[in-house]
Amino acid sequence: MQNVIAFIEHKKGTPRRVALEAATYAKTLADQLGGKAHAVVTGAGAPALAELLKKYPVDEIHVLDEDRFLDGAVDALEAVAKAAGPSLVLVGNTVIGRDVASRFAARFDCGITADVTDFTVAGGVVGCVSPKLGGLVITTCQLTGSDYGVAVIRPNVFAAKETPGAGTLVSIPSSGKASSITVEDEVEEAAAELGVEEASVVVSGGRGMGGPEPFGTILKGLADAFGGAVGASRAAVDAGWIPHGHQVGQTGKTVSPQLYIAVGISGAIQHKVGMRTSETIIAINKDAGAPISEFADLLVVGDAFAIVPELTNLVKDAKAAHA
Amino acid sequence: MCPEVCALKILVTVKLVPDTNADKRIDPATKRLVRTGVETVLNPFDEYAIEAALQLKEKLNDGSTVTVVSMTPASGKEIVRKALAMGADDAVMLSDDALAGSDLWGTAIALSAAIKQQSADLILTGTQSTDASSGDLPGMLAEKLGLPGLTNARSLEVADGRVKVQRETETGYMTLSAALPALVSVTKSANEPRYPSLKGIMGAKKKEIKQLAAADLALTVAVGTDGAKAKLVDLATPPVRGKGKVVTVADGAEGAKVIVDFLKERKFL
Repeated sequence: MQNVIAFIEHKKGTPRRVALEAATYAKTLADQLGGKAHAVVTGAGAPALAELLKKYPVDEIHVLDEDRFLDGAVDALEAVAKAAGPSLVLVGNTVIGRDVASRFAARFDCGITADVTDFTVAGGVVGCVSPKLGGLVITTCQLTGSDYGVAVIRPNVFAAKETPGAGTLVSIPSSGKASSITVEDEVEEAAAELGVEEASVVVSGGRGMGGPEPFGTILKGLADAFGGAVGASRAAVDAGWIPHGHQVGQTGKTVSPQLYIAVGISGAIQHKVGMRTSETIIAINKDAGAPISEFADLLVVGDAFAIVPELTNLVKDAKAAHA
Repeated sequence: MCPEVCALKILVTVKLVPDTNADKRIDPATKRLVRTGVETVLNPFDEYAIEAALQLKEKLNDGSTVTVVSMTPASGKEIVRKALAMGADDAVMLSDDALAGSDLWGTAIALSAAIKQQSADLILTGTQSTDASSGDLPGMLAEKLGLPGLTNARSLEVADGRVKVQRETETGYMTLSAALPALVSVTKSANEPRYPSLKGIMGAKKKEIKQLAAADLALTVAVGTDGAKAKLVDLATPPVRGKGKVVTVADGAEGAKVIVDFLKERKFL
């Protein structure tokens, strides 16, 4: 495969950050493979977003101006992939991304690698590097079984960079088909919040929080000071203190932020596998012997309820001084 | 809508995974998972799909049935039995050495072929497994079966030949619906899976487990290790994260200062 196609996920024209990461890295990979980088954008707001994509280094920007849930995106990728010839498709590891990626791979009978954090390219063969078993092993899978392949990339790992490139706009004709799925409504419950998977700073709380309240107050305050997201351990989610979308761990999300702050979390294996690939880990805990002491870069032993508000003020001051 | 009989055939896919609470290790010599002392369990995410199927069956109370399907080594019988003990009516086990080493594509091909034979009205899956964790199989199965795939459902209801779900997104939810037959993947927030009762465990021993081999699927393509479209070429163990600094502080101000100094040292501030 020579060409690389980035699927651009967006909400009414505002792109997910991972979509811009895919668009940027598509060009890097296409250059190594000797092919072209394509971006595919569909749905409400697609034409405006296509203009914005000219700031990113893709060669061609394909637009399907049609709002057809899931099927529209997969059909558009199919049309572009067939026209481009052998291609690697890059899709962000998100709720929509997994649907689009999996349906494309099944339709094209090609290989798919989930949660990709790096690539190798040698002799025109693409290898997808991906941590498995919660980061216990790092696997490399080569997409050799087909002319096409799909890599579902982990958000926050590849850099999104604006580069003057001005890709050519190409319009994809509508298929006129009806969607097999009817969207009856869409409700935003936490519109302003960044998901734990995409945030570069995650502040998580565990059993030590003692109840739901700190998640919306002191932990949220610290996360907001960093422009980050609030996460949680399984204990906190199972206790009903915070919705499961925030859960980090084996039965929740796997995250790799630049900074992970674990507050009142013991660091049991179930939690560790969801966050051990974070760049820097800071823990605040009452217990110096908690398992998290074995892998945190810094463990502060003390009262989280006293430390976190003070820390939030200091972080805000430091950020303001730099602004 | 329903003519005389409108009972549904509900299918649930289940997978055998290493115990989530075990600290798994890789043997550096063989580069394989050390299985000694690591129990295998029913994939925890699949329990929500089983529970959703059982609740739907109980609510409909019209003779609808729940069939469990698993592509698994023969040792997976224990998890199939657990699903039957929870209340599923019968099971299909697809076990064959020829399927070992299947990648996602091979799994989708073989499992969808087994599902097709069952002519189900509704197929429920977990959102992901705790070992491979890709979350890509539900969509692949839906595409291979030619069915609408309503993934990430935190609730589902069936009425008038349609399934309606609340699909969890990163920032809220969407209400989606589609005509049956359809595939739905069920999230952790959908329900609280039941424990098998003693009666259920005893009863499960009498329930039918149909055995299928690869030959029964009449596949026209090779799956398993040889047919994989994504070939595993390297397996590395990441460097072990070492023990860092541990500082005991007297009060909030001191704790905050220790962290801020550390953040400045690491250029976060």
